[in-house]
Amino acid sequence: MNLPGGIDTFALSLWLLRVAFLGALYLFLLSVARLLLRDLRSVSATAPGELGRLVVISSFAGGPPAGASYALDAVTTIGRDVNNTISVDDPFLSADHAVLTFRGRSWYLEDRGSTNGTYLNGAPVVGLAPLGFGDEVQAGQLRVRLDRPRPPRSA
Amino acid sequence: MNAIAPSPARQLGFAVRPRLRRRELALLAIVAGALVLGRASLASTLAGHLALGDLRLLGLYLGGIAAVHVAFVLTGRRSDQILLPTVALLGGISLLVMERLPQGLVVQRFVGHDLGLAQLQVGWLLLSLALLAVLAVVVRSDNWLRLYKYSWAAAGIALLLAVFVFGRDVNGAQLDLCLGPVCGQPSEPLKVILVVFLAGYLAENRELLAGASTRLGPLRLPPLPYLAPMLAMLGIALAVVGFQHDLGSALLYFAVFLFLLYIATARVSYVALGLLLFLAGSAVLYEIYPVVRLRVDIWLNPWSDPQGAGYQTLRALYALGTGGILGTGLGAGLPSVGATPAIPVIQSDFVFAAVAEEMGLLGALAVLACYLVIAERGLRIAATAQDDFRALLAAGLTLVVVVQAAIIVGGNIKLVPLTGITLPFVSYGGSSLVANALVVGLLLALSDRGVEPPPPPRPRRRVFGPGTAEGVA
Repeated sequence: MNLPGGIDTFALSLWLLRVAFLGALYLFLLSVARLLLRDLRSVSATAPGELGRLVVISSFAGGPPAGASYALDAVTTIGRDVNNTISVDDPFLSADHAVLTFRGRSWYLEDRGSTNGTYLNGAPVVGLAPLGFGDEVQAGQLRVRLDRPRPPRSA
Repeated sequence: MNAIAPSPARQLGFAVRPRLRRRELALLAIVAGALVLGRASLASTLAGHLALGDLRLLGLYLGGIAAVHVAFVLTGRRSDQILLPTVALLGGISLLVMERLPQGLVVQRFVGHDLGLAQLQVGWLLLSLALLAVLAVVVRSDNWLRLYKYSWAAAGIALLLAVFVFGRDVNGAQLDLCLGPVCGQPSEPLKVILVVFLAGYLAENRELLAGASTRLGPLRLPPLPYLAPMLAMLGIALAVVGFQHDLGSALLYFAVFLFLLYIATARVSYVALGLLLFLAGSAVLYEIYPVVRLRVDIWLNPWSDPQGAGYQTLRALYALGTGGILGTGLGAGLPSVGATPAIPVIQSDFVFAAVAEEMGLLGALAVLACYLVIAERGLRIAATAQDDFRALLAAGLTLVVVVQAAIIVGGNIKLVPLTGITLPFVSYGGSSLVANALVVGLLLALSDRGVEPPPPPRPRRRVFGPGTAEGVA
């Protein structure tokens, strides 16, 4: 059977079927791409929440228990003074001991002229030291580990 | 801080509330529609008039996928909703291609029936889907991988040795291991074991590796004892080439190893060192082994032996050219000589050439896009993982699939020297499908927000700086 103009209906419908198959593949990819974009946007929209956590590994008697954790802001200070973000009454800690800062995409650790020094993975911190997730920080008798932020509940 | 321990019933997953997975369902509906359209296009081409053809195998496959989806919904899993449809589409394309190829390419007798290529592939696909579903539903903790990494590594090495001793040759490469009537390719499960071991090892020693202490000229290296496992890795890759002539697997293992090393340490110098070792190793192998030299020579000039060694590559190039942009249509390409297809081993190593000929550039790009989607999802799962082990495991599992696809597609289109490995989810073959289902099942389990939190880190044996309270109390 031919359409006017000599076009074979079977050839035409077969061609349409083939194109429809390819079209369906791209419909799938388009839907996936939309979902992925939405997913990425929702992540970047909810990102400023937690930037990381400090988990206590060990501390002196009467200090925060091992396993306790603190959610971190972009600037987190550690010391004995009550004005610090994490204030611990540890005799080995200076009043303003150390500061953790989130700059751009990663964490940095700085000693604030403490008496006993701040240690990153056992090595004393001099100047600004880059800090990765899983690294251990020691200030006074307090040993803490920087952990990844907890994933947001929603989404 | 102390969370109340969940009740045993909850831990085992009995007291679960079903949870709809709308995105997955919508995507699966599109996949089913696309596959039925493809099947109709194939049947019409073969019959010469509009026809739907035999939908039994496709129906079985789609039924299997629906069952997996229902299992996820009923058990209330909050895992990734995009991976399953993407893998389902690749598996479906595989089924269409296998139905189109001569059924006599692979025949196995099973309970008194001769099963052809497509029937066997449906069986393998359903088995893989079942494995994927079981892993994604049952796995609620990663301790069985994390704590026993050296046991897994030992099992992997035992598997490798077993192939050296009992292996059977396939096309000049020692690949198959037979256990009674069942034969399989151990290189496929081995890649999963390798990722598990590397993730465990690198997560535990990340700091030591990242903090260099040994210097070798301009390169800063990790402490020497920690370098040994890496040299062992290179040795394993070389041994796989040397004794088994399995170039593809060796390349895959080494590439994934370098990627994971970089992800764990963020040190470009290690990757540079690894690439130097790789180049040196390749040069040595090129000199020693004729197999390697042959592959490189064919890659550089397949016309030097068009009827012999270069035949496969040349036919694949012709297939790509014949396909054009829209393709010849399913069932209309691949002139076969009797029951022999134009390209040798088109059902496994050269399946991408078959896809590119019959579905055209657009279809081939769609297949490649599916691997990109898998990469995006897997790396997202890695990025949101709760600790180093899970991040490295998710990244490694993703890369093992994506890099394998890149290696074999590159070989098919003569971008890199041809190495015989399968195209994940699309090639014919049980070992490949089952191993890749293992990978996706684990990724789905890792992406589940309901899984157990990682165990607390074990206390360091190392003595820390001064002022430590340890030893005082």
